Amino acid sequence: MLRVEEIGKSFGGLMAVNGVSFQIEKGELSSIIGPNGAGKTTLFNLLTGHLSPDKGRILFKEKEITGLSPHGICKLGIGRSFQRTNIFPRLSAFDNVQVAVMSWRRKSSNIFLRVQKMLREETDEILESVGLGDKKEMTAGLLAHGDQRRLEIGIALGSHPELLLLDEPTAGMSPEESGRTVELIQGLARERGLTLLFIEHDMSVVFGISEKIRVMHMGSIIAEGMPEEVRANQDVQRIYLAEET
Amino acid sequence: MMESFFKRENAGRAIGLVVAVAFFAVLPLFIGEGSISLVNEMLILALAACGLNLMLGYAGMVSFGPAGLYAVGAYTTALLLLYTKIPFGLALIAGPVMAGIASIIVGWFCVRRTAVYFALLTLAFSQIIHTIIFEWYGFTKGDDGIVDIPVPEFLSSITNYYYFSLIIVCICVALMWMIVTSPFGKTLQALRENPDRTESIGIHVRRYQLSAFVLSGFFLGIAGSLFCCFNKSVFPDYADIMKSTEMLVVCLLGGIYQFLGPIGGSIVYMFLDKLITGYTQYWPLVLGLVILGLLIFLRGGIVGFIVERVAIARQGSRG
Amino acid sequence: MTFQGLIIQLLSGLSVGMVIFLIAVALSLIFGTLRILNLAHGSLYMLGAYLCFWISSTLSQVSGAFWWSLILAPIGVALFGGFLEALLLRRIYSREMLEQFLLTFALILIIGDLCKLGWGVDYHVVDTPWPLNGPIILGGIVFPRYNVFLILCGPLIYVGLSALIRYTRLGRVIRAVTYNREMANALGVNVPLVYTAVFMLGCWLAGLGGALVAPMCAVMPGMDMVVLIDCFIIVVIGGLGSLSGAFLGSLIFGLVTAFGILVAPRLAIAFGFILMIIVLIIRPWGLMGKPE
Repeated sequence: MLRVEEIGKSFGGLMAVNGVSFQIEKGELSSIIGPNGAGKTTLFNLLTGHLSPDKGRILFKEKEITGLSPHGICKLGIGRSFQRTNIFPRLSAFDNVQVAVMSWRRKSSNIFLRVQKMLREETDEILESVGLGDKKEMTAGLLAHGDQRRLEIGIALGSHPELLLLDEPTAGMSPEESGRTVELIQGLARERGLTLLFIEHDMSVVFGISEKIRVMHMGSIIAEGMPEEVRANQDVQRIYLAEET
Repeated sequence: MMESFFKRENAGRAIGLVVAVAFFAVLPLFIGEGSISLVNEMLILALAACGLNLMLGYAGMVSFGPAGLYAVGAYTTALLLLYTKIPFGLALIAGPVMAGIASIIVGWFCVRRTAVYFALLTLAFSQIIHTIIFEWYGFTKGDDGIVDIPVPEFLSSITNYYYFSLIIVCICVALMWMIVTSPFGKTLQALRENPDRTESIGIHVRRYQLSAFVLSGFFLGIAGSLFCCFNKSVFPDYADIMKSTEMLVVCLLGGIYQFLGPIGGSIVYMFLDKLITGYTQYWPLVLGLVILGLLIFLRGGIVGFIVERVAIARQGSRG
Repeated sequence: MTFQGLIIQLLSGLSVGMVIFLIAVALSLIFGTLRILNLAHGSLYMLGAYLCFWISSTLSQVSGAFWWSLILAPIGVALFGGFLEALLLRRIYSREMLEQFLLTFALILIIGDLCKLGWGVDYHVVDTPWPLNGPIILGGIVFPRYNVFLILCGPLIYVGLSALIRYTRLGRVIRAVTYNREMANALGVNVPLVYTAVFMLGCWLAGLGGALVAPMCAVMPGMDMVVLIDCFIIVVIGGLGSLSGAFLGSLIFGLVTAFGILVAPRLAIAFGFILMIIVLIIRPWGLMGKPE
């Protein structure tokens, strides 16, 4: 579904992403892990069009999407949630998701329809599925951190993505909350047939639900495979141990 | 839509609306011509401020130069009425159309940058418009301004023009309400809250910002044209930074996150202006202090404050 | 246009540019460190001019009165600025740009009217001080001595400021706070105090500019807005936050305006804005600034 070929990006003299290549199959649940500064978020930014690569190609469903703008990529079916909570603070939770749904349904530029009634069922359904059904009238900025993270995902779902990139979805959560979020995400993936790609630091999440793990270090993928393989990989252990010391 | 109309909140709003319009409609029966003129001026200022707020409060784009587009509207109508035999209605419409075109040009350059740079660009453009008007003596009569603009017979009385303005302002406000409560309006708000995320959900941010800019300019142009015919004259300082700031202050005074904010703001502003200038020549000093007070104590603006109080009162009576 | 005429125009542009440099560099400095665009800067300049007039006319019996006012007026403005910063500006550092704009605009209104209250609406004159009154005559070129003095002040201040920023402890602290406020705070720097100090320095520079310009032009209401718009143009061209940018921008502005008046007198005002727009579109962080 997604094919990344040798993409690279540098800032000043620093190679943040250095010749990364991988493939993702439809329906796959995989993660990218690695120490801080390994280039994971930069990779995501390249995939979603927030940055354009200096070299290489990205193909989504066999169509080249290298260098497309974020709004173009969203329309093609790649969605994303962000590491730092990226919501619309002064709007209600309902509005947050509705805006995304309206955009997907190509209704955003309409000045004649009344927004009150639009796409209620669809938006409600998404809010329910991320567990915010009872909080939909609340101002997004006033929600608890965990709820905001779930709203993050809700907004991403509003764009009906086929491939969902999740940047540290459990960031800042307690273990129980993380567990619930993970279950939520798994459930969503199943129901909607989503292909998921995570960035995560929480190893229990990573090893718990990923079918495939890629390890990044200094801008390159140094290991790739099933969880047990990666866990056993010498290089990976060395990197993480080096991190510890 | 009718179903929501009967919900309690909206019924209250609808009644309030009817009362407000009725109030303005019967006002001339009770007050003298001087006051009618003042209320007329206030209505036009309210329209301009609402136009500005489309960009400012809803799309979150801070412009330092709305007066430039206001002046384009005013001068277009003035020049057409003075030099050509174009019917009044067309000359009036030409104002906002010209302002809209100017907005497309100016806006295209400005929305490529954000925040401080956007604001400075809007300032620079409005100053250029000011300079053009000021210096092009042969065409715009420069500093002398254009006076004795011919206005149709039936609009030359103060009361008649008042009703004319009232109708136009009501129509415009209704249009703006329609825009603001549409999907487009909601998307603009999302843009204000988080332009980055808005782009990620599939919105071409620059295009929407330009649209907001142009819509804003269009309504500012209408206000300019209306004022030109109200005053029967136009001057370069219609494009001045002082005028721009006046509009910004009015928006802030009423509250930029409220639809009625600019209207409330312009009522208070005009009232204060006329009151204070009656007593002292130091109106700028008082205005400066009022702005300071506003920024420190009444951050949501007056209408914002009222809305908050009403919400708290409602909560209290419920709980 | 004779050669002499050109040189005079050149020097004229330079003297204007160098005075505006003082205010522009202060605006740039304040934006660079405090992240606020201080609209009231023109007003502080005007206050400096009024104080200069007031002090020199009060001390008119004392010899060298002007020089005394040149020392005292900027200090007065700096103190006033410190008071403003502590009382008002502190509250709005974290607020949105619109509120900052309106607060500093309110200060324009207030300071403007306070000057009117204090010194009336008529214009005032400050005599050019000895030994700078009178012209310099060099190779057929007649040029006011005082303007030459102004031209020399610019680079002097520029060098002085650069030295301050680069070599003194205060300068290092300012740079640290400008670069990363949180880190500086974590390292024990009293950031609010630094902010106040930087603002006061900016006010001192603006006041100095006003005092310097007083003998050259009439001290009157309205001088604040004229200089403000010119300053904006300069700091945008040079780069918000850059000292050398402000210097370069002032040079360019002075020269463009001076020669613009020769070429197309009526549109000369617009040249500055057009230049500003071009820079904002192509390279918004200015010639010497850094992209955010």
